[in-house]
Amino acid sequence: MLFNSIEYVIFLPIVVMLFYLLPHRFRWMMLLVASCTFYMWFVPKYILILLITIIVDYSAGILMEKYADNHKLKKRFLVISIVSTCLVLFIFKYLGFVNDNLVALCQSLNINLNTTVDLILPIGLSFHTFQSMSYVIEVYRGNQKAERNFGIYSLYVMFFPQLVTGPIERPGNLLRQLREEKKYEYDNISKGFRLIIFGLFIKMVVADNVGAYVDMIYADPNKYNSWDIILGMFFYSFQIYGDFFGYSTIALGSAKLMGFEITDNFNTPYLTKSIAEFWHRWHISLSTWFRDYVYFPLGGSRVKFGRWAFNIMVVFVLSGIWHGAAWNFLIWGAAHGLLHIIEKAILNHLPEKDNRGKLEKIVVDAFKIAKTFILVTLFWSLFRATSFANISDLFTSLVNNFNTGEHLNVANNIWVYLGLFILIDVLLYNSRFDRWCDNRPAVVRWAIYFVLVFMIIACSSVNNFPFIYFQF
Amino acid sequence: MKKLIYKFALLAALLVLMNWIYGKFFFKDDLLKHSDEVELAWQVTNDSCVVVYTGESSNHTFSWKDKDQRKISDFIFDHFPGLRCGDMTKDASHAEVYYYLLENIPEDSPVKTVIVTMNLRSFGYGWIESDLETAVQKQLVLLKDYPPFFNRFMLAFKAYDIKSIDERGDAREWHRKHDKITFPYPFKYDNVDDWDYANAHQGVILDGKWNQPLTELACHYIKTYGFQIHENNPRIKDFDNIVKLAKERGWHLIFNLLAENVDRANELVGSDILYIIRQNRDYLLNRYGNIENVTVVDNIGDVRNGLFIDKNWTTEHYSEMGRRTIANHVAQAVSNYYPDIYVENIAYDIPKNHYRKDLGFDSLTVCSAMPYGLTIKGRPADIDSNCEKVYISSRIWKEENSAASAIVMELYKNGAKTHFSNLPLNDMTDATGMWDFTTSVLPIDSTFFDANEFRIFLYNPTDSPIHIKSLDVSFEYDDYARAK
Repeated sequence: MLFNSIEYVIFLPIVVMLFYLLPHRFRWMMLLVASCTFYMWFVPKYILILLITIIVDYSAGILMEKYADNHKLKKRFLVISIVSTCLVLFIFKYLGFVNDNLVALCQSLNINLNTTVDLILPIGLSFHTFQSMSYVIEVYRGNQKAERNFGIYSLYVMFFPQLVTGPIERPGNLLRQLREEKKYEYDNISKGFRLIIFGLFIKMVVADNVGAYVDMIYADPNKYNSWDIILGMFFYSFQIYGDFFGYSTIALGSAKLMGFEITDNFNTPYLTKSIAEFWHRWHISLSTWFRDYVYFPLGGSRVKFGRWAFNIMVVFVLSGIWHGAAWNFLIWGAAHGLLHIIEKAILNHLPEKDNRGKLEKIVVDAFKIAKTFILVTLFWSLFRATSFANISDLFTSLVNNFNTGEHLNVANNIWVYLGLFILIDVLLYNSRFDRWCDNRPAVVRWAIYFVLVFMIIACSSVNNFPFIYFQF
Repeated sequence: MKKLIYKFALLAALLVLMNWIYGKFFFKDDLLKHSDEVELAWQVTNDSCVVVYTGESSNHTFSWKDKDQRKISDFIFDHFPGLRCGDMTKDASHAEVYYYLLENIPEDSPVKTVIVTMNLRSFGYGWIESDLETAVQKQLVLLKDYPPFFNRFMLAFKAYDIKSIDERGDAREWHRKHDKITFPYPFKYDNVDDWDYANAHQGVILDGKWNQPLTELACHYIKTYGFQIHENNPRIKDFDNIVKLAKERGWHLIFNLLAENVDRANELVGSDILYIIRQNRDYLLNRYGNIENVTVVDNIGDVRNGLFIDKNWTTEHYSEMGRRTIANHVAQAVSNYYPDIYVENIAYDIPKNHYRKDLGFDSLTVCSAMPYGLTIKGRPADIDSNCEKVYISSRIWKEENSAASAIVMELYKNGAKTHFSNLPLNDMTDATGMWDFTTSVLPIDSTFFDANEFRIFLYNPTDSPIHIKSLDVSFEYDDYARAK
């Protein structure tokens, strides 16, 4: 079920009403049924894959707790759990990629290998496997008690607001809340609706509308003028941001309606002065996951520069591959890692300058923000491109077509939507839409709701753009 | 909770305001952007049309060889000079689209007669689940009879039959596998999928060899026409709605049941496919033909293979003579409402290798008293020498079946009969008490071209009369099958 579908518009209020009408002890059951329904709306059989992961990690959690004193055995259960979860991920997400590359390699060596793997990636597999893994790791580390109730554990993995594209939750946050008794509070309903409306606005009005132009550019980059290629890249930065931020915000709002507080996934990521800061503000739940479960165990930053650079590259390459089983994602991740290292290396050799005047500081900060945004935008083209040939066409046209090529005829209203989004994003710096609204007078709040609701319905794209992160 | 109820009440009031703002300032632009076919309804309204024709690509598709490339609707309107007529033509549309277009014609418009294209293929799941259908459904959302803001909400939240191309393909396959097809006689296959599979393996033979293009085409015919219309067919609901709307508005309604390529269907697949086509036609004639102010013009078998433009697919795209044939029949039906201004005979060029006799409103009775009727005569020397077959079709009315009645082709050389082919009517149609088409194909060879004259006619030596309205003869060469 998509958040921006009529099915969800009907589904969510029913679930919220049932949630508050049912006694606390039955709520998890209802939420589990609702989550299964939500997931099975896409392709019902995929739930079996999810079930395998749930059973393995649920059992591993209990066994690790049972054999808490036997470190060797405990570690073995952890390894079994992680390997089996990763195996599921590997089979459905990476086997085809590995096979294709192996076949290509064999062909180049004149070895006859002609196998094909044609498995469809279950929706949200990367998200819920990571969520599931965080549970077993936390139990192993002793930070989390093993969940005995299979239903509640299943709900932790399958909680519908964040099931298919995150945020990737931690047991310390979500599992705890699933056991808590949530009381009806007007504030939760109000904030939940605010977040949903805002999320729908940035997804349906901003991301989907600019997405139509992005599709045109990337479908045939050779056709367009260099300025329009730049425009297409710029639009994609806002499409992917609006799309993913929108989805995460709707997820936050949906959970908030029932009193659940799930992790913020974004914090004005394009107003950042470095790649490192960008990753502190973009897809926060994934960044922190890699930080806690990969980067820190590798030694984090408390190591020599060379080792640190290696750690960074491991994290970013893994992050790239996490997004998709293709070379362009790997290169995208590596590019971010490399840039992160270069930035740090330069900073290490530059003296700190604290005596800048206010204006100078603003100019320097603006330059840094612009630089980071341009680099991130350039890298997004690796993310968006359909093939290496597509990337090559894009950059060739970018360089060569300044005096040739067609011009993209962008409707004026697109600039209005984008301008409004950028304005709101700047206003929300280090804040969140629901909290930001708290500090506005009721008239202003309702005026904002009016404009947003009106725009969601009257100005949304009528084309069908699935959420970009669904593919992961 | 009270606070929440107040807030919802406020939201409801704001939604009413939004609906007003949207309807006043945005709706028209959105309609033109997302449902541009509404312009067609506005156009016929602005033009104060009295007769309106609704159709899809069949209306305007023409052959580059056509001398007159105008639409079927234009050819119909030629018969009614001075009458204000207009058409609403939109590619890939079907009865549901026509319904919403017609509904968008204001009630106070001068429209009195509505001609609605009834495409037999549109009742099949090949079309209902066509790859184009999601786009068609999207275009209909804003045309529905709900508040504009609600319609825009439904469009924004994709509340219409939205399916991916793969899902459409799966749905078509499901119907091919699960929709039972039944015949009153033993038939080897339970469903279209089995029939199609067997046909693909059996193949179509041409020049003594398996012919791939014709085999594929035969499979298309099975998949396209292999369905049986039932009460719950979505198109039936749409046509019912159109009938209801016409009744409410006081319109004369004419359903133009388009011609299908029955020649090819018969030639490549055989009489079973014709049986289904006839069965579906009869269903439509029975369902809509007996309603007051509703006429169904049955053109199903009235256009010959050579007049179909698309050779590799099943479409209703006709060259000029095909469009004119249909237009003439529809015009005859429209003439019931405008007899004073109706111009019956409009001359047009008949293509080479094609002969047609159409008696219009009249028919000829053939029986023992006058056993030969409606004869087409010609000279083989006038026919292109590469022609290898002749499609012969007729529109007849039998009181009873008789083994003796037939369509006959005779060849003469220097006044003497050199060849005789007999096509028994019973083999072509067993319908009695109704008008029905017949189609058959005969090979022609050097015997034909050696003759000085050919004669094709209906022969009925029995006392039971057979009425014939038209006879159509088309000499052809299968260039499509050999081109590949």
